[in-house]
Amino acid sequence: MRKGLILLGLAAALAAGTVLARQPPEKLPATRIRDLHYGDVLFYFYQEDDFEAITRLNAYEHWGLLPHHEAESQLLLGGLYLSLGLHNEAGARFETLLTPTVPTGVRNRAWFYLAKIWYARGYLDKAEHAIRQVQGALPPELDAEKQHLFANILMRQGRFDEAVQLLLHWKGPLDWMAYAQFNLGVALVREGKLAEADPFLTQVGTLKTTRAELLALKDRANLALGFAYLQSNQPAKAKPVLERVRLNGPYSNKALLGAGWAEAALGDYSQALSPWMELRNRNLLDAAVQESYLSVPYAFGKLNASAQAAEYYESAVKSFDDESAKLDEAIGRIRSGHMLDALLTSEKDTHYGWFWQLTTLPDAPESRYLYAVLAGHDFQEGLKNYRDLAYMGRTLDRWGDSIEAFGDMVDTREKAYAQRLPRADALLASDSLTDKQHRRDEMTSRLNTIESGAEVAALGSPQEREQWAQIQKLEAALAGASDNEENAALRDRLRLVKGVLYFRLNAAFKGRLWQERRTVRDLDAALAEAQIRWIRVEKARKSAPTSTGDFAQRIASLRQRIDALQARLASVREKQNGYLADLAVRELEAQKDRLATYQIQARYALASMYDRAANPPEGKP
Amino acid sequence: MRFLTLAAALAVLASPTWAQDAVAQPPAATPAVAPAAAPAAPATDTRGLDQEVQDLKKDVVDLNRDLFVLEEDLLFPANTQVAVFVSLDVGDFFALDSVELKIDQKEVANYLYTPREAEALLKGGVHRLYLGNLKVGSHELVALFSGKGPNERDYQRGATLKFDKGIGAKYLELKINDRQRKQQPEFEIKDWE
Repeated sequence: MRKGLILLGLAAALAAGTVLARQPPEKLPATRIRDLHYGDVLFYFYQEDDFEAITRLNAYEHWGLLPHHEAESQLLLGGLYLSLGLHNEAGARFETLLTPTVPTGVRNRAWFYLAKIWYARGYLDKAEHAIRQVQGALPPELDAEKQHLFANILMRQGRFDEAVQLLLHWKGPLDWMAYAQFNLGVALVREGKLAEADPFLTQVGTLKTTRAELLALKDRANLALGFAYLQSNQPAKAKPVLERVRLNGPYSNKALLGAGWAEAALGDYSQALSPWMELRNRNLLDAAVQESYLSVPYAFGKLNASAQAAEYYESAVKSFDDESAKLDEAIGRIRSGHMLDALLTSEKDTHYGWFWQLTTLPDAPESRYLYAVLAGHDFQEGLKNYRDLAYMGRTLDRWGDSIEAFGDMVDTREKAYAQRLPRADALLASDSLTDKQHRRDEMTSRLNTIESGAEVAALGSPQEREQWAQIQKLEAALAGASDNEENAALRDRLRLVKGVLYFRLNAAFKGRLWQERRTVRDLDAALAEAQIRWIRVEKARKSAPTSTGDFAQRIASLRQRIDALQARLASVREKQNGYLADLAVRELEAQKDRLATYQIQARYALASMYDRAANPPEGKP
Repeated sequence: MRFLTLAAALAVLASPTWAQDAVAQPPAATPAVAPAAAPAAPATDTRGLDQEVQDLKKDVVDLNRDLFVLEEDLLFPANTQVAVFVSLDVGDFFALDSVELKIDQKEVANYLYTPREAEALLKGGVHRLYLGNLKVGSHELVALFSGKGPNERDYQRGATLKFDKGIGAKYLELKINDRQRKQQPEFEIKDWE
């Protein structure tokens, strides 16, 4: 069934047309992932970790990370809710999602599984609504199951006529047919139509099979038909039917009891003793065995073997007393609330969800009384809920620890901000970036002046600039000096030196100017980068207190929700525990009541016998 | 006394049976109380409790989402977030065992896949191998894939990508494909803009 739901999820991908349309919906289609996060959800879904899958799906939707898989996300979400046992949520979603645009195969599967869960949980009206949404035929194996499910939904609502109409002309695989015929036979018996039921139950009761499951069903059909005949006072017809039940099968005890009653009803108490004595040696836990403790002495009584009858009645009284005391102990243990924990610890697998099934029973004394209850739908479904709640409780406990850590983290961040903020504020207030921008502008302007004025010396090395300044100083000094020969020689030398220096400066000027321009360009890039960082710092500064404050609020609110949900979880778990314990205790008390009734009958029969022995009819010794 | 037997008979006829019931039944060797005591219809109306459980589960699912969102918002803010995913297509030529991941020469993940996880990848799941934070700028990612290659031989291959991290989350996908022509696996890193 799990596989079926996986197929449902995968087939859901067909809905958005993202996969090959020619593939039938029942086959595994290749999913083309267009949003990585959708693939991440599937990664957990395929591992059957539905809780993680649904968490991620919801979170990724929240962040808008699944734009290309919106339709199939919604269907998958419905499937995940279904798998987690949230059938009402799943149903509400499917109701709106499963429109005619969704391929029929996908829609049918979704409705079918929904019907199945609702049936198992006892929501028969919803189950019927869902099953009626299935249109056309499902794949053969599922179609048979669907038909069978539909009939069961009707029968559990007491609508036997409709169930009969549904199953009467239906043909399907052998095992499903056998179940359908059995159910149809039972439905007809309950409608009081035993003659019509006989062929169906006989057909199942005479099946040729070696499969354990069908052999058990075969026994069950014979048992049902046999007891129906006994009930309608037709012991002769009941006898051969009950004799078809295997002596070691799960229904053999009831069949032996019935076979004895058929003989007794035909007046042959000696023959009746044969199955009843066999039965009496079996396990006293079984209701049929308990009843044989009374029927054996009853038959001896009818055969006028009073001594043996009295002996067996006394033995019955003692056995019933012992068993009743054990039942009291078992009821006490269940009431103490340890049954469920024992049940869950006996399961090594820590999984959860609707597909989980209890497979092993704890080795507790009460287990032996409770096989049937524990295997029943009500108990299993309730236990799934209980188990899911336990799993969710553990998840919340873990989040409880994490949320503390998140709180610490936000506190630490706030402290770090408190330390850094003054530095950031001082930096931002200094306006140093604007200052640097001005200096860059001045530099560019100066370079332009140098270039246009061909101020070659301005870009010289420090030594050259010093030499050039020295020359200009000497030139100025010589300008005001007298025109004698010595000064003329000095002026010639100075002109020569200046010419040499100018030549050198002029030769290097273009290269130096290019170098300076490049430096300005580098500076521009650095300033642009600084500008971006500056803006980021400004933004961070503005959002810092809000951001940490926002987180602190979210953490506080989530912490409250965790606490509230943990309290609700504990309360609902207790209720669920109580409900399941009630189911078990009700069964044990029914067994106890039955024993008490048998006990009274045994004592009464014994008292009558003693009375007859003490006051024999006249004429007898 | 006979009425007792008839009560048992009615129980035999009480409920429709289901093929899967056999799975839930105890083995045949155990005490056989099944037909009489397997109630198919709820003895009491449990819808109220079931609805309460469902409401509670829904609230836990919603809370779990909000906590998940908070955790990632807090630890991996969108402007610094980087996520690396692993996907596997077909997988005829390569069975993945592990992936080692380095970002800027620092090992950030070394993940060993279980058979169940590898199977999930084969079915089309994509594994978010790494979620972390990176500064804006250029970075280098190196992925080393280990597993079984063609003919069941140990197989190890690497892939490298230089990428720019801008403002906003960055998603990278480590893709393992089958290259049919060469009958070899192919490893590439895709930068999802």
